[in-house]
Amino acid sequence: MTDPISTAAHRIAAAGLSPARTARDPVNRPAIRDWLTAIGDDNPVYERDGVAPPAMVQVWTMRGLRPRDEDDDPLRAMSAVLDEAGYTSVVATDCAQTYHRYLRVGETVAVRTRLTDVTGPKRTALGEGWFFTTESVWEVAGEPVADMRFRILKFRPEAVPQVERQAPIRPVAGPDTAFFWAGIEAGELRIQRCGECGALRHPPGPGCPRCGAFKPAYAVAAGTGRIHSYVVHRHPPLPGRRSPVVVALVDLDEGVRMVGELLDVRPDEVRIGAEVRVAFADGLPVWRPDLTELPPWELAVTPTVIISTALATRDFQDVHHDRDAAVRRGSKDIFLNILATTGLVQRYVTDRLGPDAALRGISLRLGGPCYAYDTLTFAGRQRAGEVAVTGRTATGEHVTATVRLAS
Amino acid sequence: MIARTAAIAGIGATEFSKDSGRSELRLAAEAIRAALDDAGLRPSDVDGLVTFTMDDNAEIAVAREIGAGELTFLSRIGYGGGAACAVVQQAVLAVATGIASTVVCYRALNERSGRRFGQATLPPGLDASWHYPMGLATPAAMVAMVARRYMHDYGATTDDFGRVTVSARRYAATNPAAWFFGRPITLDDHRASRWIAEPLRLLDCCQESDGAVALVVTSAERACDLRRPSAVISAAAQGSGTDQFVMTSYYRDEVAALPEMGVVARQLWGQSGFGPGDVRTAVLYDHFTPYVLMQLEELGFCGRGEARHLIASADCPPINPNGGQLGEAYIHGMNGIAEAVRQVRGTAANQVPGDGPVLVTAGTGVPTSGLILSAA
Repeated sequence: MTDPISTAAHRIAAAGLSPARTARDPVNRPAIRDWLTAIGDDNPVYERDGVAPPAMVQVWTMRGLRPRDEDDDPLRAMSAVLDEAGYTSVVATDCAQTYHRYLRVGETVAVRTRLTDVTGPKRTALGEGWFFTTESVWEVAGEPVADMRFRILKFRPEAVPQVERQAPIRPVAGPDTAFFWAGIEAGELRIQRCGECGALRHPPGPGCPRCGAFKPAYAVAAGTGRIHSYVVHRHPPLPGRRSPVVVALVDLDEGVRMVGELLDVRPDEVRIGAEVRVAFADGLPVWRPDLTELPPWELAVTPTVIISTALATRDFQDVHHDRDAAVRRGSKDIFLNILATTGLVQRYVTDRLGPDAALRGISLRLGGPCYAYDTLTFAGRQRAGEVAVTGRTATGEHVTATVRLAS
Repeated sequence: MIARTAAIAGIGATEFSKDSGRSELRLAAEAIRAALDDAGLRPSDVDGLVTFTMDDNAEIAVAREIGAGELTFLSRIGYGGGAACAVVQQAVLAVATGIASTVVCYRALNERSGRRFGQATLPPGLDASWHYPMGLATPAAMVAMVARRYMHDYGATTDDFGRVTVSARRYAATNPAAWFFGRPITLDDHRASRWIAEPLRLLDCCQESDGAVALVVTSAERACDLRRPSAVISAAAQGSGTDQFVMTSYYRDEVAALPEMGVVARQLWGQSGFGPGDVRTAVLYDHFTPYVLMQLEELGFCGRGEARHLIASADCPPINPNGGQLGEAYIHGMNGIAEAVRQVRGTAANQVPGDGPVLVTAGTGVPTSGLILSAA
């Protein structure tokens, strides 16, 4: 560690957990109502039970528009070091919150934070920057009520030359296989079926190896199966794709096997034997865990949504309310802050599962920013004890989140 | 029967590197000249040339470079590294039938400094469309699919794979021709190496190498009169399994198996009259560690799923005493055949004592091949 940034990081991390910093205001109904209104959350339980939405936990200890200088706050101290070094822009990338219980109106929380990890400089899509991670604990009279891992990218905004993205590898169709790819276009998973003896076969060919007939026909698969084996591809990069890519060999219920990408599952969660269901993406069959899908929700992200949620979460960073400042810092417009995204994820889940669904935590990773005038579409899939949520804009994934539920 | 009709009378190789700085044609010519010199033969003696379909050096270009004259036998074998022992079988067939008298098998490649096989590039042919576009686009990933199922079916672990590479690197460390000469590793090094395609780590994958190997095949009778002791070809076999694909034979009942090597094994034991218990040392194609374990099973050294126990036991013959392709070099399996010849001659860097036959295999997961070599 010879560079000044790493030296400073080492010093800040070595200081450990900061002293408790008490929220300016106790948990209060006006702030909760402003937050619920901005997020558009009509869930009555907060008003009824006198509790705060769990995703608001960070809001109570936000520093406000004119923070006092407090060098003992690790996040602030590390940000100052990076500002000094020219990494003046900021974007949050990951946030994992755990809620031990909901906060009650009238309680006063305090937060303690430590710096755990600093890595850089890294080339990112936004420019050169440093990632750093903090861990925070919220307490009420010494009782831990929530904790959070928070990862931030501080970067030097620059026009990054767009790397020519390689085209993904595309399938090649021939006379004997065209029916399969036409099926994908039609939203069907087709299995070759011998027009003579009825034998099913994949991958297909010109005839039937069983009876010898050249009368290929096809059946439409139910689209369900189980994982027979799988691979987590990490290196080298695949053209037009981001690693890791999970690829599964699926035993279809009809009795044939097929290879396809497995989506919406963490590499460490994949299990041989797990039930999967087919979907179609970019002209290919893809597989997902066979889970209950929650109805999607589309949100028109107006400037008002971005600004009102930024203010209701007490995030006064200019990129969330001042378009000129956002552009100057390398963005195309103002964009949603991570506290608002967390709130929207919480709202989507409680809207779909009912007002009394109790949350134990939200872990989320931000992808591309959600700008003013984007349409943000949330989709969710429920499994034991949790809901996997994605929020997409027209240009790609804005957020992937796992919401853990109380059992 | 082709058993003991022909022999490998000469072996030759270039140095094994990551950047040869020379054309593949020159590498081929250098290795062939060295092999002819080893056998005490002249380029004008060569009347047959055999290589892999993947080799970029035309037989006629090679013949011109080495100064050979007229050829009566030109042949190539497909399926990548699966060809390694099959090119020797081609030579044996030519010699046994009198079509040629002196056949040179060669493989020359700048695989590290030139076209790297581990990158994701779509091969021609419709079969690839069922795997490559889905993200299964590298040899490592294709083997990983089988390896994962093998772990599931038989309880093997990534440490079992790691033990294969630790052993290879131990041998390579004392083989001056090996790229990893003097650089052994521990199981912890394997555990710390990065994932390539889970469950395979970097150290489960063979090297990428530049280099060339050539072998001179002639009749067993004539070989006795040549400069160096020859390795008699006691068996030479090729094999493809039912419902065989290139690296992606996923549509058979059993995914965690290499039946193509079973086809080869039955022929090798049948032709030679030997059995697994006779083998002094085995040079098993090690592009990826799990397939070393699975080959031991298909070859009959142990039952299905038991190889991880076998390699830890005293009953296991020494495997890949040159360091294999994990430790010596990746010359598409041809350097393994050269090692088998040295073991028969008694001139290997890590010489395995005894006078039993030496087994050598070619790339698996594809139509494959194998040889049994023994002393004259």
